[in-house]
Amino acid sequence: MLIRLIVPGEHARVEDLNASLEAVLARHCVAPGVRDDVRLIVEELASNAIEHGVDGEAAVGQNELSVDIGIHGGLLTLHFRDDGAPFDPTSVPPPDLDADIDERPIGGLGLHLIRQLAEEISYRREAGFNLLKVSLRIPTPEEQA
Amino acid sequence: MSLDIRIEPPVNGSQRVVLAGRLDTQSYAQLDERLAPLLRSPPRGSTLVLELDGLAYISSAGIRSIFKARKALSAVGGRVLVVNPQPQIQKVFDLVKAVPMGDIFASTAEADAYLDAMQRKVLEGDDG
Repeated sequence: MLIRLIVPGEHARVEDLNASLEAVLARHCVAPGVRDDVRLIVEELASNAIEHGVDGEAAVGQNELSVDIGIHGGLLTLHFRDDGAPFDPTSVPPPDLDADIDERPIGGLGLHLIRQLAEEISYRREAGFNLLKVSLRIPTPEEQA
Repeated sequence: MSLDIRIEPPVNGSQRVVLAGRLDTQSYAQLDERLAPLLRSPPRGSTLVLELDGLAYISSAGIRSIFKARKALSAVGGRVLVVNPQPQIQKVFDLVKAVPMGDIFASTAEADAYLDAMQRKVLEGDDG
């Protein structure tokens, strides 16, 4: 594991989380394209957890988000943990991308983006936590050239 | 990195908006707010041109703002055109089919030529 970051579930803290992750990834020479993908995945998942994950009477900001990031054998893996309401992002049906703009809902694209960018994604609920593992393939230096 | 929004004066039913920085959860509300007056009652068939040379990053929150604009203009027979999206933006656009391929232009000159041709077509239509 390269780093574990824990922040309160507030929109304003998501940028802190991403700024820290970006600094770590840059230090480990992870390509800018992959760093952008990580930023997007973290933003989408964190926003989702903050907006939809509030359980019962808990107010926004009372929940906590934790992200671990690690790199092994060409894969960058993010482990997300939050203590919000149970939510399995892998169970959400894909959006209809081919509908006319008048028919398309304006939202519901964040999870689709994560699933498109990820090499692997898995979810489990354990001891009151949502645990989501998202892996991204890191291009080899030849692929980046 | 925040979002810079520059709204240029409208020309021939076309409204140009230049974006730079990041369009995400932190900044989409600023764009919605700035676009709201332009989208309240847009002229029939009008075009919103989003110049994205300086935009480095977009998330689904930013796509929502673009969808709101596309819907508002579609309702009056208008369109949103996009100019010079950078690689991360183009990737996200492709993954969610945010903007039809024919509405994305590589340069301002290309978009201008297209708008001029559209304008001519409208004028010729009026004559006939």
